[in-house]
Amino acid sequence: MNVLIAISSKHHSEPTLKAGMKVANAFSASSTVLEVGEKINEFSMKEVYMARERIESWNFDRPGVDVLEWAFNYLCKEKLINDSSIERGFPKNTLVENSSRRSEVFLEKGKAKNISLIIRNGDIIEELRNEVQSGDYDVTVLGGSKSGNLSFDMVQYIESSIFIVKNFQTKKKNKILLAVDSSKGSKKAIKHCVGIANAFNIEVEIITVTQDVKLKKANQNITEYASKFLRRFNIKNKIIFEEGNPVDVIPKKAGNDHILVIGSSSRGPIKTFFQSSTPIKILKKCNCPILVVK
Amino acid sequence: MSNLTNQLISNILFWLSRKKWLVIAFFISVSLFYVETPEGLTSDAHRTLIIVVTALILIVSESIPLPAIAMLILIMEVVLGVDTADGVASSFMSDAVFFIMGSLMLAVAIVHQGLDKRLALSIINVTGNKTWRIAFGFVFFSALMSSFIGEHTVAAMMLPVALALLRYSGKKPHQTSNLSSLLLFSIAYGCALGSIGTPSGGGRNAIMIGYFSEFNIARISYWDWIKYAYPMMLIEVPIASSILWLTFKPKKKILDSAVRKLKVSVAKDGKLSSNQVLSIVIFIFVFFSWIFFSPSIGLGIVALMGVFFYLSFRLIDWQDLTRRTNWGVVILFGSVISLGIQMNETGAAKWLADSILNSLSNSIVDPSNLRWFFSVIVSGIMTNLLSNAATVAILGPIVLEMGGDPIILGMSTSIASAFAYLTIVASPTCMIIYSTGLISSKDYIKAGWKLFIISITLLLLISIFYWPILS
Repeated sequence: MNVLIAISSKHHSEPTLKAGMKVANAFSASSTVLEVGEKINEFSMKEVYMARERIESWNFDRPGVDVLEWAFNYLCKEKLINDSSIERGFPKNTLVENSSRRSEVFLEKGKAKNISLIIRNGDIIEELRNEVQSGDYDVTVLGGSKSGNLSFDMVQYIESSIFIVKNFQTKKKNKILLAVDSSKGSKKAIKHCVGIANAFNIEVEIITVTQDVKLKKANQNITEYASKFLRRFNIKNKIIFEEGNPVDVIPKKAGNDHILVIGSSSRGPIKTFFQSSTPIKILKKCNCPILVVK
Repeated sequence: MSNLTNQLISNILFWLSRKKWLVIAFFISVSLFYVETPEGLTSDAHRTLIIVVTALILIVSESIPLPAIAMLILIMEVVLGVDTADGVASSFMSDAVFFIMGSLMLAVAIVHQGLDKRLALSIINVTGNKTWRIAFGFVFFSALMSSFIGEHTVAAMMLPVALALLRYSGKKPHQTSNLSSLLLFSIAYGCALGSIGTPSGGGRNAIMIGYFSEFNIARISYWDWIKYAYPMMLIEVPIASSILWLTFKPKKKILDSAVRKLKVSVAKDGKLSSNQVLSIVIFIFVFFSWIFFSPSIGLGIVALMGVFFYLSFRLIDWQDLTRRTNWGVVILFGSVISLGIQMNETGAAKWLADSILNSLSNSIVDPSNLRWFFSVIVSGIMTNLLSNAATVAILGPIVLEMGGDPIILGMSTSIASAFAYLTIVASPTCMIIYSTGLISSKDYIKAGWKLFIISITLLLLISIFYWPILS
């Protein structure tokens, strides 16, 4: 399993990196820490690179390297990188440009528990999408954004599961709110929920919100399935039945003290493009970390 | 199968969401094609204007790569029947394009010599360690050098000097402060001011000189341009420095330890190498050739002579040169200049100029005085949205058809296109300082609007009181 953790700066990305690494560890996954820098317009691209070369000739770091260095130090502090690498410090001289918009710091593979550090420059959605496609990632972890469109684009266009670390307080003991219904995505969400519950060592509340009475029975079945599945992994859980519109009820129930886990919509891409989908609507309203499982 | 279809649809939707401006440009151009040709506009001119609108939308939105926009312009010119393939090809290459190509290559060759450390030492030796003197020195030296060797060359060389001072003064990477804004904007604005000083300050100046000669208005030499524009540059240097100082007043008024550390760091490099000396000699030769030979052989050919010497003396390898030269920009300006020439030849520029003047006369009393304001303000705004050379290439043919004194209007348009103070995308220099991560996009407006208004006022005064004396 591969986890991609997108960070922007040490001021804003500590919860994202912490939550992302917990998830990666829970799934014993390889993890890639990615910093997406500002998009440089084409008129200026070569000139900016020329200026960067001069900066590097003075032994100063190009923008973005300091963010990766901070991430490296964080990983060292958490003992996620082996001792010999820590002693040598951040290996900025191994930063290699793979393409005009992507550079990678080479850490000693195997010893660094399969961690990669990457810088990309450009449009955030485009860069994340390219990275996810080329690296075959299963989960992309990123910080919450005020822009609703960004969340929409993430869920709509990025093929991996998306974990948006919004308002995540590292010291607070959250619970998981697993939202399920009779759709296909829910079963996948239940499986991922096990990993998240183990990563954060927390309880799970399984919620199903019924709007249509006809679906009540099907929803009951899936909640029971989820409860049994979680018990098998010794994860404490309780079931909550609610009636109403899931888009209103779930964010309200999640508040800011849950990690919400939800399956992606089974709607086709065209319908989602024009009408959005329930997970995207919930994501826009939610004020807590949310994992949309694909 | 359904998964594959969904993936394909998702890919198409993603492409459409990223390229929406390409789709919009397509629909606008098709709609304009079927709109009845307005009175007074020939069919060729109508079709030329469709290409102009399409090109502008694509350049501003950057929804497709610049070379692709360039090729689309050339293809549309031929397919829409504005000109023959040979006609388009011959208007594609001109001395102005040679100049843009040559100056971009010269920039690469000069920056490659690593003269920035020498430059740092020279500037610091002159300015001393007081922060205001350093900021003034940055504006002055950036303006002085960029007036001869082009703005992005200077920005690339000055940037490490500013970063060194910031780092040595104890600033951590990514730590923003008034001091970082002051020093970085001193470079960007200094370079922008300097670029108006001589034709070699920026490609747009060469484009305007090209239009003057192509449209049989006048032959402006390198020295003529200096007489017109250099005084304005010199007046603006202290004004820009003061505005920047008042907007970004730093806490540290003296940078003694940073200056000391900078001197120590630079001193390690020893004396100038023979290659560095040779590269300076070649540039001085190019500069004098621009003054003395460019009236007869063209600005572009002189720039290419410089590139020839840098390559022949092995001061730079062709591989290094070609990797760092922005060919996309060269091709784009070639096609935009070709479009400008078509605008003139088909009468599209004249029709647009007349329409603008008519619409001004409907709402305002005397349009003749407003030609100047139109040229300068539209040029100033456009340059902050697209690029200064593209602004001059598109706007030039229109303002030169507006009547009045075309030299004053043309020079004003070209100079106003240097007022790229307000946005990150306004010029490569603005992007270079932004890419350090030490300034925010709001900072551009903070200082830029003041300098923008003062520059326009100063340009007005110079065009009223000084330029008529010259002509």
